[in-house]
Amino acid sequence: MFACLYLPDFPVQATLRCEPEQRRELLIRSGIVILEGSASNNRVISLNDPARQLGIELGMTKLQAQSCGSVLVRQRNLQSEEAAQGALLDCARMFSPRVESTAPGMVILDVNGTEKLFGPLQRLASRILQQSREFGFCMNVAIAADPDSASCAARSWEGVTIIPQGREAQFLARLPVEVLSPGPEILDTLEAWGIRNLGALAELPSVPLVERLGQDGLRLQKLARAETSRTLVPAELNDEFLENFEFEDPVESLDSLSFILNRLLQQLCTRLLVRALATNELRVRLDFEVHQLQTEAEKEVYERVWKLPLPVSDAKVLLRLTCLELEGCSFFAPIKRLTVQATPVKPRALQGGLFAPATPQAEQLEITLARIRGVVGREDENRMPCVGSPRTVDSHRPGSFAVHAFSSEYALVGMCTERPAVALRKFRPALETKVDFREKPQSVMLGKRSLTVLAASGPWSTSGQWWNHSAAWAHEEWDVALKTSDGAGLYRIYFDRMRTQWFIAGMFD
Amino acid sequence: MASPATAALLRHEIEARIPAAFSFCTRHDQGSIPTGIASIDDAVQGIPLHALTEICGSNLASSGKTSLLMSLLARATQQENFCALIDGQDAFDPASAEASGVTLSRLLWVRCGKTKQKLKPLEQAFKVADMLVQSAGFGLIVIDLSDFPERLVRRVPHTSWFRFSRVVERQPTALVFLEREPHAASCAGLVLSVKSRPAVVKGALFTQCGMEVEILRTLERKPPQAFRPLFSLRSQWA
Repeated sequence: MFACLYLPDFPVQATLRCEPEQRRELLIRSGIVILEGSASNNRVISLNDPARQLGIELGMTKLQAQSCGSVLVRQRNLQSEEAAQGALLDCARMFSPRVESTAPGMVILDVNGTEKLFGPLQRLASRILQQSREFGFCMNVAIAADPDSASCAARSWEGVTIIPQGREAQFLARLPVEVLSPGPEILDTLEAWGIRNLGALAELPSVPLVERLGQDGLRLQKLARAETSRTLVPAELNDEFLENFEFEDPVESLDSLSFILNRLLQQLCTRLLVRALATNELRVRLDFEVHQLQTEAEKEVYERVWKLPLPVSDAKVLLRLTCLELEGCSFFAPIKRLTVQATPVKPRALQGGLFAPATPQAEQLEITLARIRGVVGREDENRMPCVGSPRTVDSHRPGSFAVHAFSSEYALVGMCTERPAVALRKFRPALETKVDFREKPQSVMLGKRSLTVLAASGPWSTSGQWWNHSAAWAHEEWDVALKTSDGAGLYRIYFDRMRTQWFIAGMFD
Repeated sequence: MASPATAALLRHEIEARIPAAFSFCTRHDQGSIPTGIASIDDAVQGIPLHALTEICGSNLASSGKTSLLMSLLARATQQENFCALIDGQDAFDPASAEASGVTLSRLLWVRCGKTKQKLKPLEQAFKVADMLVQSAGFGLIVIDLSDFPERLVRRVPHTSWFRFSRVVERQPTALVFLEREPHAASCAGLVLSVKSRPAVVKGALFTQCGMEVEILRTLERKPPQAFRPLFSLRSQWA
């Protein structure tokens, strides 16, 4: 058995799919037409039922369509249609691995042997319809013994149609000949003969039909008799998870943007979940409505890539992360198009320990870290992240370190030293100071006070990167005990030979 | 004045509606994280979870508060806890931490005051602490305020400390503030004051530092004033 999923008025549905749910419901009830062509030659290529009721027909110009009544007019968006077709395939793949992308807005799937998984055909069809609503589609589902009969039925009847095996021709007999999409010449000939439905076409004698209409006529008759048999051409898996939305009126506020962003992310996450995938890289692109660039800093496009430390498939988490990042950005022009792309990866599989301490929930942690970055900033003047997990680096340069992305995923546990060691508190940047130096430091200026050196250990000479003049360093380090008002303070001071200046690197505390 | 019979009747009626109305709320043993310094762990049984702890010490002289903190972080990460360090003035040294045994991959380091933001570094530190305490899942959260001028930290309203103590009470988290002087007063479950003793120098090298801890406040009982745990710290090269 084969199931055909058909989206009537596909360009309209592809356009409406990314609208927020409530707005989509409103738009479905009002007339909407899709135009294609240049500004001077815009023609209606698709419309919904309310628009048809107003008297609008395919091929009308924009002016003619608008003169029929109040309708929403949208330009055709091929990217949206491509994304919608991808979503339709993903929806179908939830029920069968053998799926054919028959035409834009139509897929046929082989449902043989799925009874044990999804129950009888009626229940399967209901589940397909239910799932399609999550994808934002309003579709017809037809199940028949051959793909072409299923396709004819899906295009002709709304909702669910199940044709019992062996009664296809009887079911299809009432359908008009146009459902087979014959050529205009054949259609005229059939019209002249008085053949208006498939039943009449099926009853015609085959040989005289071929003599008059050729092989095309025979093919149409076989379709009408449900005598065709063909194998499905399985659609290849598409790993591009991309959704986009073109605003009717360009938006300026993040609130307006977030509504659509939420919808696009929901669509992406639904598609990812259907394929048992998640994403660890999200790319957001905003196209601005720019008439003239004023400065060099202004660009027509804003593009941002978020690399997540763990795979995420929760739309809410992605929305919060994206909104937190966008809150810190200021845009100089209204946004006319929003594109969201996710890189698919396998979801994380992690077994938590029963007796291990609680760990921060990974998705929630990402949101918290994004909020913290909003408070303390992303990077310092040396482009070192302000939030993350510290790391030592393989360098002899004193004070060198790195900051990696923090993750609450499994991390190795190190061994503790048996006796605690003295820790250094760093001064970043190192404090410039003056040192009374006679063979070894005698006194050190700390702030405005000169502190006597009680003991000194050094010098410990280090240098590196002599081949790069701007990054070269050469230090003579001393560990000194200074007499302070609170007692003895152990400090690390160094003489920078490149800058011929003393610095206090930090305090042992 | 009500008679004993009336009082008993009233008590009975109230307890029928609200069973715990007259019972004492007992504090159960809610766990702790050892500091890794035997003398302190013997005296206070580690840094308590579900409570706010203050570790105080001078920022001019070497008091040992940072070394105590590193030892605590090392033990906490060894126990598979995730830890957070909110570094008020960016004074944390990853190399020292690694030498002390801290598993750096289990440590979240937040460096306040490194970029121009609306909030001042002290406000940033408190705001970030609020977020982390609310987010839950961290076994140890440390807020290092010891490099801020004392006059600024003293201005932090008492309600902030109170809020932290109430929030952390419901979570298996040890919230530790590193400061020059204690500020949380009764909101703190444990207050330790660390002071240095003369350093030991062998030849041209510092090899060891002696430290003394004063226990100013504990959760359970009045701290024994006379008892001051002593400990020593080895230098990384000793």
